[in-house]
Amino acid sequence: MLKYLLMSTVQLTSMMLLAGLIVSYICRTYGNTGKRCMQAGVLLGVIAALIMTFFKTNTNRIDTGIWNLRIYGVSIAAFVLFLIFTALGKRLKRLEAILPSVMMLIVVALLILYSVPDYLGYPHAILLTEKTVFSTAFLYRMIGAILGFILVLVAGVAVYKGAASLERGLVLLLVTIGLLINSIRQITASFSIMLAKRIIPSNHTLFVIAKYASNYSNAFIYLTLLIVCVIPIVLWIRSFRVNEPYSNPAEHRKIRAKWRNRRRWSTTVLACGVLIVLTMTVGSSIVNRKVELSPVEDAVVEDGNVLVPFDRVSDGHLHRFGYTTENGVTIRFIVIQKPNSSSYGIGLDACDICGETGYYEKNGQVVCNLCDVVMNINTIGFKGGCNPIVIDYSIHDGQIVVPVEGLMEYESEFK
Amino acid sequence: MKKVLASLMAVMTAVAMSGSAFAAAAPGAEGGAGFTEYPIFEDAEVGFINLSAVYFQPVPMSNGNESIEGFDIHLEADISALENKLGYEVGSWVPYLTVDYEVVGSDGNVAASGTFMEMSASDGPHYGANIALPNADTYNVTFTIHSPEENGYLLHTDAETGPGGSFDEYFGEGNLTYTFEGWDYTPQEW
Repeated sequence: MLKYLLMSTVQLTSMMLLAGLIVSYICRTYGNTGKRCMQAGVLLGVIAALIMTFFKTNTNRIDTGIWNLRIYGVSIAAFVLFLIFTALGKRLKRLEAILPSVMMLIVVALLILYSVPDYLGYPHAILLTEKTVFSTAFLYRMIGAILGFILVLVAGVAVYKGAASLERGLVLLLVTIGLLINSIRQITASFSIMLAKRIIPSNHTLFVIAKYASNYSNAFIYLTLLIVCVIPIVLWIRSFRVNEPYSNPAEHRKIRAKWRNRRRWSTTVLACGVLIVLTMTVGSSIVNRKVELSPVEDAVVEDGNVLVPFDRVSDGHLHRFGYTTENGVTIRFIVIQKPNSSSYGIGLDACDICGETGYYEKNGQVVCNLCDVVMNINTIGFKGGCNPIVIDYSIHDGQIVVPVEGLMEYESEFK
Repeated sequence: MKKVLASLMAVMTAVAMSGSAFAAAAPGAEGGAGFTEYPIFEDAEVGFINLSAVYFQPVPMSNGNESIEGFDIHLEADISALENKLGYEVGSWVPYLTVDYEVVGSDGNVAASGTFMEMSASDGPHYGANIALPNADTYNVTFTIHSPEENGYLLHTDAETGPGGSFDEYFGEGNLTYTFEGWDYTPQEW
């Protein structure tokens, strides 16, 4: 659940915050024209995102890299044109409202088109392994994804509401800085795509820029959060210095109610900001925490065999044993009794794909420590995929007998 | 006038967006495979083997390997035969190999390692694996190719039907190894 909460938060935060800012500014500045353009932008973006999700998950027609290059290019061009049209202002005469509004229509639609398809594709990705929507794992993951969406949606609405209470000049400044941050991210991501696809020749400087932008990609989200946090901070400070004139107690109550409302939206922005940061820091560290493998259990080594009595491993849980070589390398193997069976799944605590990373037990399932693949316990002991490497063993006298000679073949697997 | 202009621009945007959706399929369509491979290096000659490496999006695979969660790329070694006395047709895929991979970061630490699996994609058979490689860096990639004999592959040894060579000619001094240095990698959005 937490993993999908994190994924959806990272995926949608920038889009939702920027959309909140832009919609608020355009609707207030350009009245009905702006409002209609923003409605069209959101609608267009959602429809385009749905179409994109369908094509991405059901066909091989979408090259995401090329698509993103186009989105970045059009988006940056629309942003630049928006700035030019805004600067020209009244000189555009009858087009003063429509041109900047349409530019932001394009930006909002493309923000949604860029961010939402991956989010909408989560059920498809989950169902690659879960097979049915009626599984607990599917349900938990989708709850995480929906919680993430609600969190950023509330943040976006709060930004929209908060920005509506600020001067247009200040909101325009925030929109400009926010989109500038987004454009820088898009430019660095373009370098990454074009270098990887060899659209442009190898260039060390561009690679270094793309590398740092990629490795610190969350910084763009934090910077956008920082920008929108200006709204609640300014509103909070102002709410303590209210000296609007009033002529009767009713007007006074109205003014107080207005500022109370603004403080509430400001608190919502800050609370969402804190939750987003916590999800991306604390949540991320929990999601990415390395699982400590259970210790290797003692086992008798006799006549060149490691002996594991049945009564030590017949509880249905994962057990880890090992043999330490003269070089000090412990060659580990796992044993688990198969569900509703008297047979055992036995294999090396390593697989061909992920190496000696090992397996751990979680909620009655055996999971690869590196790639998180959940193993089918019934197939442990068979070759293939991320299954444990098959080892020689025999059953004798109520014991699992694992020849040391067979284990020694895998010494190099364990460093 | 304003409404007409707004509607026109909105329609143009929609047309441009959907138009590029179809146009974007071009690279795959041109390649015939229907997906875009990102090259790492091409046509390294190792013994009797022509070796190229590419990567693309993590892919679900059969036999319990459907999950793509936690993986960043599908790393693939394209291996075909050069002139040889082992009976492999030049340019054809070489089966029964064990191919190990190791990806080492600029700090000298191993970022990913393991053994490829054999599989088929729409562009044919290859050795590959989904791997986690979340950090952008300049990596060195090493491929170690074991003799097909290790997996039980046999050669006719008589003069009449045999290809005329032996695996010892190529693997007598050990496994074939190739290291590509300086793979500038940044994670991609798929």
